[in-house]
Amino acid sequence: MSKWMLAAGAAALAVSAPSAAQQGGGRGGQKEHSGHAQKADRGGGGQKARAQRGGGDRQQQANRGGDRQRSQQMRVAQNDDRRGRGGDKVRANNRDNDRGRNEAKVEARGSDRSGNVRVDNRDRGREHVRTVKLDEKVRGNGNARFAVVDGNDIVRVRDVNRGVVRVHDIDRDDLFVRRLGFGVGGCPPGLAKKPVACMPPGQAAKLVGQPLVVAGRYGALAPVPVALRNFYYDDDDYYYRYGGGYMYRVDRGDNLISSMIPLFGAALIGQPLQPNYINSNYQPSYFNSFYPNSSYDCYRNGYGYVYETDCMTGMVENVIPTYGNGYGVGQLLPSSYGYYNLPYTYRGYFNDDDDNYYRYAPGAIYQVDRETALITSVAALLTGGLSVGQPLPVGYSAYNVPMAYRSSYFDTPDVMYRYDNGYIYAVDPGTRVVRSVAYAIV
Amino acid sequence: MNYGSKTMTRSKLTLALAMGLLAASACSKNGSSDTADKGAAAVKEAGETTIAAGLNQKGRFFTLAKAAGLDATLAGPGPYTVFVPADAAFDKLPAGAVDSWSKPEARTDLTRTLTYHILPGTVLADDIGKAIDSANGKAQLATMGGQVLTATREDGKIVISDAAGGKAVITKADETRANGVVHETNAVLMPSAAS
Repeated sequence: MSKWMLAAGAAALAVSAPSAAQQGGGRGGQKEHSGHAQKADRGGGGQKARAQRGGGDRQQQANRGGDRQRSQQMRVAQNDDRRGRGGDKVRANNRDNDRGRNEAKVEARGSDRSGNVRVDNRDRGREHVRTVKLDEKVRGNGNARFAVVDGNDIVRVRDVNRGVVRVHDIDRDDLFVRRLGFGVGGCPPGLAKKPVACMPPGQAAKLVGQPLVVAGRYGALAPVPVALRNFYYDDDDYYYRYGGGYMYRVDRGDNLISSMIPLFGAALIGQPLQPNYINSNYQPSYFNSFYPNSSYDCYRNGYGYVYETDCMTGMVENVIPTYGNGYGVGQLLPSSYGYYNLPYTYRGYFNDDDDNYYRYAPGAIYQVDRETALITSVAALLTGGLSVGQPLPVGYSAYNVPMAYRSSYFDTPDVMYRYDNGYIYAVDPGTRVVRSVAYAIV
Repeated sequence: MNYGSKTMTRSKLTLALAMGLLAASACSKNGSSDTADKGAAAVKEAGETTIAAGLNQKGRFFTLAKAAGLDATLAGPGPYTVFVPADAAFDKLPAGAVDSWSKPEARTDLTRTLTYHILPGTVLADDIGKAIDSANGKAQLATMGGQVLTATREDGKIVISDAAGGKAVITKADETRANGVVHETNAVLMPSAAS
């Protein structure tokens, strides 16, 4: 009997030890990160950046399930991958959200090597990664709401709407925005049919001609941010309000919604991806390195947008813009753009500051308003890019090297030079294959 | 004495050789500095003026660029080549087109249209001309919007054709700026409809 108990005790120890160790590792990682936050984020190009991005996406899913305003307790998984741990894979399981209700179920996978934070919540028999708990006692204090992350870190929650949680991380003095599946009221696919908080795209159109109050049910409405007043300008006849993934134009006369502009991709998240969204024949050369498919995520390219879908369910999890389709100012930047991802040649020009941050999405570098996550300006336009070893794309027949570099890089019978996205490339005139990067303009 | 003259000859030779080398190097320096000077002159001429600052601030192209949030782009690091239609060119568009572009709902169309006028890098009219010649009279130019423009020569002038076959003639070429170059044209180029 005592032997049996001893064995059980040892087993219990064995179970709890790794969990504690992992937690410790997570803390350490975080501390280290707080010192080098910028560096870590910026240093991550290519795959690393992608890994961070992936984390953000998972994050969004996790959040989506957790957003219930009425809930007594709000649990939101925090974006763990901001720590720059490229190997972390965090995945929320949306299918379980019907049961989960007030919490996002999150599984951590493949992360043992990389100091992942894994909290083994035995009470619930589930694994939670970086859960955020809103403290009810301080919740009533207007803006000064706090949340406890993993029962330890205290972060300030700036705002909780249906759809958006803004969190201020005191440790890192960093404000970040987590969007909870905007547009469909932050509902996971399983909840999309539930009333009140979720608005299927078909229903959205019915709001035109309705009082603005009706739209307010689907997402808290806010006046247009100052930075965007030039783009959505109120006049004597109309004014604008936004929320729940749409910009509403309201008639001043009768206070009815006269038209609504979807804030990019809003209505598609959580819906099945329709085959007609996709043009599978064309994939830009950068596509696979930016959007590598995994066993969970399938990326599809279609008419100026990249759709990230759940491979199992085929549901759209995120819609990523490309500039070619006219995406830009006045639109919401998808939440997956949580990290600084500018191409190296542009990093000297655009740095995140207190008001704005800069993000690269295929086609452009956007300046994004920190408070609202709305795009306020297009900082630079970028092309699909040239790549070494590939044929020169159509349209680069004309010499286009910047004036200052023309004396060094001019076309000869042996080599021609073409400029693209901050680089001067050497191209073989015979085969028209891009031979090498001749110069990087930094 | 004899010894001395020999030394002298030798030193003269060395001197001559050295001068020759100097001359040769001076020559080659001149050769490349011509091009460099040209480039430098163009940059100097452009000064600190960006494409955005160099455009008529009340002109219709710039007004529309502001509506699409592209004014900051044209003031930022480029370089870009921009085909700027004259104000009169906008009158040739179907009635109401420009007005509708200034509405938020039509910003997608506006952005697509404007980015169809912007090329990556600095492409001078001469560069387009050379590309036309080397490509049997028809050069394709990639735009920032993703679609391609076609350049041809008609009556000695460079003509840019859009997706619908509309044509714009470059009326004033090579206005170099700190972050690129502007070519004035006489028509608005229209991209093909969103697919």
